[in-house]
Amino acid sequence: MTNHWIDFKNADVILIMGSNAAENHPISFQWITEAKDRGATIISVDPRFTRTSSKADIYAPLRSGTDIAFMGGMINYILRNNLYQKEYVRLYTNASFLVNKEFQSPGKLDGIFSGYDAEARKYNKTAWAFQAGPDGVVKKDPTLTDPSCVFQLLKKHYARYTPDLVSSITGTPKDALLKVYEAFASTGRKDRVGTVLYAMGLTQHTVGTQNIVAMAITQLLLGNVGMAGGGINALRGESNVQGSTDQGLLFHILPGYLPVPSADLADLKAYIEKNTPKTKEPMSANWWGNRPKYITSYLKAIYGSKATKENDFGYAWLPKTDPGMNASWIMLFDQMLQGKFKGFFAWGQNPACSSTNANKTRKALAKLDWMVNVNLFDNETASFWRGPGVKPAEVKTEVFLLPCVSSVEKEGSITNSGRWAQWRYKAIEPLGKALPDAEIINELQGRVRKLYAKGGAYPDPILNLDWNYGPGKKVDITLVAREINGTWMQDKEIKDAKTGAVTPYKKGTQVPGFALLQDDGTTSSGNWIYCNSYADKGNMMVRRKKDDPTGLGLFPEWAWAWPVNRRIIYNRASVDEYGNPWDPKRPVIKWDPAASEGKGGWVGDVPDGAWPPLKTADGKANPASKLPFIMKPAGVSSLFGPGLNDGPFPEHYEPLECPIEKNPMSKAHRVNPAAKLFYAEGKGKPEDIFASGSASYPIIATTYRVTEHWQTGVMTRHEPWLLEMVPQMFIEMSEELAAKKGVRNGDRVRVSSARGEVMAAAVVTARFKPFQVMGSTVHQVGMPWCFGWQYPEDGSGGDSSNLLTPTVGDANTMIPETKAFMVNVEKA
Amino acid sequence: MAKTANSVLVDMTRCIGCRGCQIACKAWNERSARKTVMYGNFTNPTDLNSDCFTNVRFVENGNGKTPVWSFVKNQCLHCQDPSCASVCPVAAFRKSDEGPVTYDYERCIGCRYCMLACPFEVPKYEWEKLLPAVQKCTFCAERIQDGLLPSCIKTCPTKTMFFGKREDVVAEAKRRIASAPGKYVNHVYGIEEAGGTSWLYISSVPFGELGFNMDVPKVQLPGLTWSYISSIPAVIGVVLVAGVGSWVVTRRNEVKEKEGGKEDRP
Amino acid sequence: MKTNNTGNDIRMWTPATAAMVLVMLAGLGVMVYRLISGLGASTHLNDNFPWGIWLAVDVLGGVAMAAGGFIIASMVYLFNMKKYKPITRPAILTAFIGYLLAIVAIIMDIGQPHRIWHPAVMWQIRSVMWVVAIHVMLYTTTLALEFSPMLFERLGWHGAVKTVQKIMVPVVLFGALLSVLHQSSLGAVFLIVPGKLSPFWYNSKLPFLFLVSAVMMGLSMVSLETILSARIFRHPVDMGIFTGLARALAGVALFYFVLKMYFLVTGPGVAAVFSGSMEANMYLIEMALSVILPLALLLGTKMKESLSGLLFIDVLVIAGVLINRLNVGIFGLYRHNATNGQTYFPSWMEFAVTFALIALAFFIFKMAARHLPLLSSETASEH
Ligand SMILES: Nc1nc2c(c(=O)[nH]1)N[C@H]1C(S)=C(S)[C@@H](COP(=O)(O)OP(=O)(O)OC[C@H]3O[C@@H](n4cnc5c(=O)[nH]c(N)nc54)[C@H](O)[C@@H]3O)O[C@H]1N2
Ligand SMILES: Nc1nc2c(c(=O)[nH]1)N[C@H]1C(S)=C(S)[C@@H](COP(=O)(O)OP(=O)(O)OC[C@H]3O[C@@H](n4cnc5c(=O)[nH]c(N)nc54)[C@H](O)[C@@H]3O)O[C@H]1N2
Ligand code: SF4
Ligand code: SF4
Ligand code: SF4
Ligand code: SF4
Ligand code: SF4
Ligand SMILES: [Mo]
Repeated sequence: MTNHWIDFKNADVILIMGSNAAENHPISFQWITEAKDRGATIISVDPRFTRTSSKADIYAPLRSGTDIAFMGGMINYILRNNLYQKEYVRLYTNASFLVNKEFQSPGKLDGIFSGYDAEARKYNKTAWAFQAGPDGVVKKDPTLTDPSCVFQLLKKHYARYTPDLVSSITGTPKDALLKVYEAFASTGRKDRVGTVLYAMGLTQHTVGTQNIVAMAITQLLLGNVGMAGGGINALRGESNVQGSTDQGLLFHILPGYLPVPSADLADLKAYIEKNTPKTKEPMSANWWGNRPKYITSYLKAIYGSKATKENDFGYAWLPKTDPGMNASWIMLFDQMLQGKFKGFFAWGQNPACSSTNANKTRKALAKLDWMVNVNLFDNETASFWRGPGVKPAEVKTEVFLLPCVSSVEKEGSITNSGRWAQWRYKAIEPLGKALPDAEIINELQGRVRKLYAKGGAYPDPILNLDWNYGPGKKVDITLVAREINGTWMQDKEIKDAKTGAVTPYKKGTQVPGFALLQDDGTTSSGNWIYCNSYADKGNMMVRRKKDDPTGLGLFPEWAWAWPVNRRIIYNRASVDEYGNPWDPKRPVIKWDPAASEGKGGWVGDVPDGAWPPLKTADGKANPASKLPFIMKPAGVSSLFGPGLNDGPFPEHYEPLECPIEKNPMSKAHRVNPAAKLFYAEGKGKPEDIFASGSASYPIIATTYRVTEHWQTGVMTRHEPWLLEMVPQMFIEMSEELAAKKGVRNGDRVRVSSARGEVMAAAVVTARFKPFQVMGSTVHQVGMPWCFGWQYPEDGSGGDSSNLLTPTVGDANTMIPETKAFMVNVEKA
Repeated sequence: MAKTANSVLVDMTRCIGCRGCQIACKAWNERSARKTVMYGNFTNPTDLNSDCFTNVRFVENGNGKTPVWSFVKNQCLHCQDPSCASVCPVAAFRKSDEGPVTYDYERCIGCRYCMLACPFEVPKYEWEKLLPAVQKCTFCAERIQDGLLPSCIKTCPTKTMFFGKREDVVAEAKRRIASAPGKYVNHVYGIEEAGGTSWLYISSVPFGELGFNMDVPKVQLPGLTWSYISSIPAVIGVVLVAGVGSWVVTRRNEVKEKEGGKEDRP
Repeated sequence: MKTNNTGNDIRMWTPATAAMVLVMLAGLGVMVYRLISGLGASTHLNDNFPWGIWLAVDVLGGVAMAAGGFIIASMVYLFNMKKYKPITRPAILTAFIGYLLAIVAIIMDIGQPHRIWHPAVMWQIRSVMWVVAIHVMLYTTTLALEFSPMLFERLGWHGAVKTVQKIMVPVVLFGALLSVLHQSSLGAVFLIVPGKLSPFWYNSKLPFLFLVSAVMMGLSMVSLETILSARIFRHPVDMGIFTGLARALAGVALFYFVLKMYFLVTGPGVAAVFSGSMEANMYLIEMALSVILPLALLLGTKMKESLSGLLFIDVLVIAGVLINRLNVGIFGLYRHNATNGQTYFPSWMEFAVTFALIALAFFIFKMAARHLPLLSSETASEH
């Protein structure tokens, strides 16, 4: 999130799209309800009417997988009706940037941008670059009238998304569509602010990333980013998923969003060269310019004294991906099915139920020699070899189940979606022989190290690890937290560039903040964005003070937020050139000329850099200032984003499986042209088959969660109180579809896709309505995915809806498309 | 009713149906669960039972284009003058001054008159046990005594329930209705129903459409039986006078008749 | 003193008695099962139907049947209608049996049988149920006293008989008082459920209606058992007693009919009776059996002259009033209680206990007729 949970209360309009906040993040509704009490308008955009929708002032249904069309219409509405925040767009976005003249967009090229290579399903992005002057600075047109400027391109691109066309793509009734547009666009006014809350309803698509980009463009046009009550807010998932992403859980990032090196980057210099953005923009802070300090400090954290300037700080020991390699979830199981893996750690997960196309996944597990399952419970993954249709005798995979302790039985930090790292203490003693995950890893490392000490293929990365988190087998988790923050590896004196004052730092003390991290090996930091979380004076994450000086709910001394305790990021975009808040009612920060003994300073939240406002009080540009979007090379936000795989502007494409034959926006390109396809007519593995526009599977399906269960249900299906409330796999369908299929409430229904089938109890409801799409009626159904064959033991729960979902993912992230696919429904 | 009696306003416009309250109640009261099925509505268990002191009813209506989905938290209303307490032959149920209607298992004989009498069908029986107790929401009386909020109220993420003294709660209900014209139906359920309850409701959907009992008399029901019981002394008087009188009269007649040697009348 | 006039000549084992004993044994088994495994295991009672046939038939019905005891005793002792003296003892015995069996039924029905005594010490004077409980306790004691001469006579404790007979008038008066209160209290039990009990039965004078219908039932019961014992045990009985009872019954029934009509008109209305609903049909059946047919037959001349005719009328009234109790206790509440789908039909065990109690009543009566001076020495001397 750019903002944080409590901040929702500051919004005037809350667009909840692709999230079912009331059911999946019930606590968020504490703040949404507070906003409502203040008179805020709540909007829910969801294929079905949810518990969230029940609390919305405006509800708009849309067919799964058509959010870009919906948001494209919104962008068009904002631009056509001049409702954007003009100063904001001019100052803080790249609206004025001139794009290469040869750049062409899908309106011209029938659904694709310039540079498409159909064979490779990839773009050559050179045409997407900005025009630069001889000084290397991007050419701009502050009047926003040049036909090559981002603003005009944007306008042209989205002019195609007329309300009528959008309505016939999305199935959203036009009046509902316009109601949403009108309400949300009202936040383009300086004194009104809107926020968007999204989650898996937007991301689990072949166009997942672009869905969010469309949101971002909308928010930037309306001047809502950086504002209290604004921003783009992902209501994240597993309780510590934010923390684990921060710490490099994903295959392509190291902790602190440092890219994972690929094998072609032979040394640290090459890595830095490749991954450190440069800019000629004079006013840009270009914070990623500090990448060398962060990667070096990271290497120092993991290899300690073994990392020296001479050995590239151990860069060579870092594990690397092959160039262009994609090691995402779908790919892993695809490779596993092909027998490419010997072993697999299923650590705190249940892919046999959570993974898209679970039949394929279950098959893949049987190709392993061994699997280690670290979990609280046995689950469908650990027991896959005795699942439905599996003959245990035919499975060679050896399975090890390591019991671990639950979150309340161990100490440590959890980072919530609002980037707040909150420390938790152990509440109860663990049962039996279960260990905290950290201690399991600790012991694993110890044993592997012992083996390598005796010799091995390439022992250096293991033997050079600086690994000491406490005596014996116990792990002192605060030592891990300290290492993540970073320490001085040597005594060092730092000279302030401006004042010349010198501050000495002692070896072994904590680095106070990432601005002090060094690229010469004098500092370590396991994760630069967490630098400042564990200071010498103590663990910042344990703080629990309830003071709220701004009244905006920032609670600066409650826990700690990355970066440097900033609660709302890009907050310097919430003020005008003089440092005065756009909305004086809700000042996140404000320039106070009297602060710092008359030198002036920011008050409020921790600003995105202490630089003064863009202009001095007399209206002159202040050369000491920096633009607010400090993580962007140009210092401004991107309405035009040339970095993604599938285009600089979001464009509507249909899901891999959809009910219509052609993409109404393009004759030639039904599906995201940059998305990897695993199956094409006659080509590919049978497991990856899909069926779009097929009469056999004419009904759109989506999957989602229920409040009462957690994820695949391993932690909730054992819990009788929860099972009592939602005991069985169900399928929600409209009264119209039910009538057509002769299905009544509670009936058992067989749901099938090209890949599998599940049984479910029918929930017939007016909360699902058929859609009018391109002139015909299509039906949609929805299912939870919290059940599995293992519990409840009598099998009454049913199996996972992922037996139905396809093998395909987003063109950028490869997140599986589990929110839109096609099925058939028959009364069992 | 004591002025200090605790009371709760359930503002259904705030409820998101998360059922945290249902679980919190189970947790605090250490209740087990029953086997259920998905039958088309999310209300589960479908009714209160001896293991479920509160459930959330999911009610779908809305005849127009947009559905209306309401969530009704359901539990003992802790009537001001509760039928369950008035009918209990051994005073196992009592209305406490603090507000909760409490139950004393040690007194209960298990006649189940309370179950019949409650206008809201709240008390439930442990049928499966040899020596069953009547069970229902306790208003978390022990928590209240220790200065804690009832478990369900404490859990609720959206402050659906407003806890306070009854007069404050009634005032708050009226204030909310007045301050947001058109938002609520103009009715506070529980001010008059059954002669007044400690748990009150406000809603944006007419109560009748949400499964609320709209036929509940607007009087304190125990009055109905009390009018009978309080007439007992008079009945005793009448019967005694009539009985003794008739005996005296017939006796005298009989003596006379005997003297006159007459036959009994048939 | 004359010899005891017991019915030693009555045959002990008849096929009917054997059947009764079987039914009783079966019921006894069920009762034991009920006591060791609980209500849930033995009945079909549930949260929506907390009360079933044990309450409606065994308790409400049984108590109404026992009304004959106080009616005849009052007629004889208070109103000095000597003519009915011969049937006082059977009437009192019936009442005593009725109450004892109602108590057994209550013990079966309450969830905590071992706490049956609680109301005696844990008072709650606002509770009709408490009032009922106290009445049952007092009246059963009273009945025991009224019944005691039969036993004492059999044992030959003539002094004791004399003593009891001396205080008989106040005892009977006390019993009558309790009965009036008790019969009406059972109706008052339902005053608390205005929203639940169908308007066919719910009204503010429910207690009074219970009382009046109990009087009808009591008269019919006495009449019935006298006719039956006259036939079966060959007791000679004065026909005048029957016609007197029949006349009384006609009067009370007429009064009851007027009352019922009044509450029908001011309540659900006459049209509602023909709506075809389950309640309307039950109401029709109840009314037909309990008053309309009996009144028609009684007002016609023929029937009341023949014992068989009277017997038939008595059966009608008894069945009708029983159905009234079932209507108030079960059918009138059914629609309300069943709104959420839960239903009630008694389990075989409930039936078994109910039948066993009825069989037990007959059996005790027969044993008493066989071994006790049912027709007291006094009566014997006078006839
Ligand atoms: N109780 C509970 N809470 C949870 C979880 C849980 O399992 N149980 N899981 C946690 C995790 S890991 C995550 S990631 C989050 C996920 O949180 P959410 O994203 O809110 O979860 P979902 O229910 O998967 O999907 C949200 C909604 O997207 C809608 N939807 C489906 N297709 C589309 C579409 O094409 N467009 C739009 N706009 N909406 C669509 C669905 O109808 C659904 O209501 O929840 C977290 N919170
Ligand atoms: N169809 C469909 N599929 C989906 C989604 C969807 O919306 N639709 N959503 C996707 C999303 S967003 C997610 S996040 C994934 C989740 O997919 P998974 O992570 O595979 O599923 P979970 O059920 O959350 O599995 C977590 C496991 O961790 C265990 N666990 C709990 N605490 C601990 C602990 O402290 N240590 C260890 N070692 N284990 C622990 C639990 O018992 C459980 O077995 O599913 C994805 N799959
Ligand atoms: S599940 Fe846990 S983290 Fe999620 S809303 Fe509930 S309490 Fe908060
Ligand atoms: S709602 Fe029912 S159980 Fe609760 S106090 Fe009132 S009468 Fe008693
Ligand atoms: S069942 Fe228990 S609590 Fe209920 S009325 Fe009877 S004695 Fe009282
Ligand atoms: S007040 Fe207590 S007992 Fe009553 S519903 Fe709430 S948690 Fe349950
Ligand atoms: S906890 Fe609150 S919001 Fe959730 S269901 Fe209960 S009353 Fe409603
Ligand atoms: Mo997630």
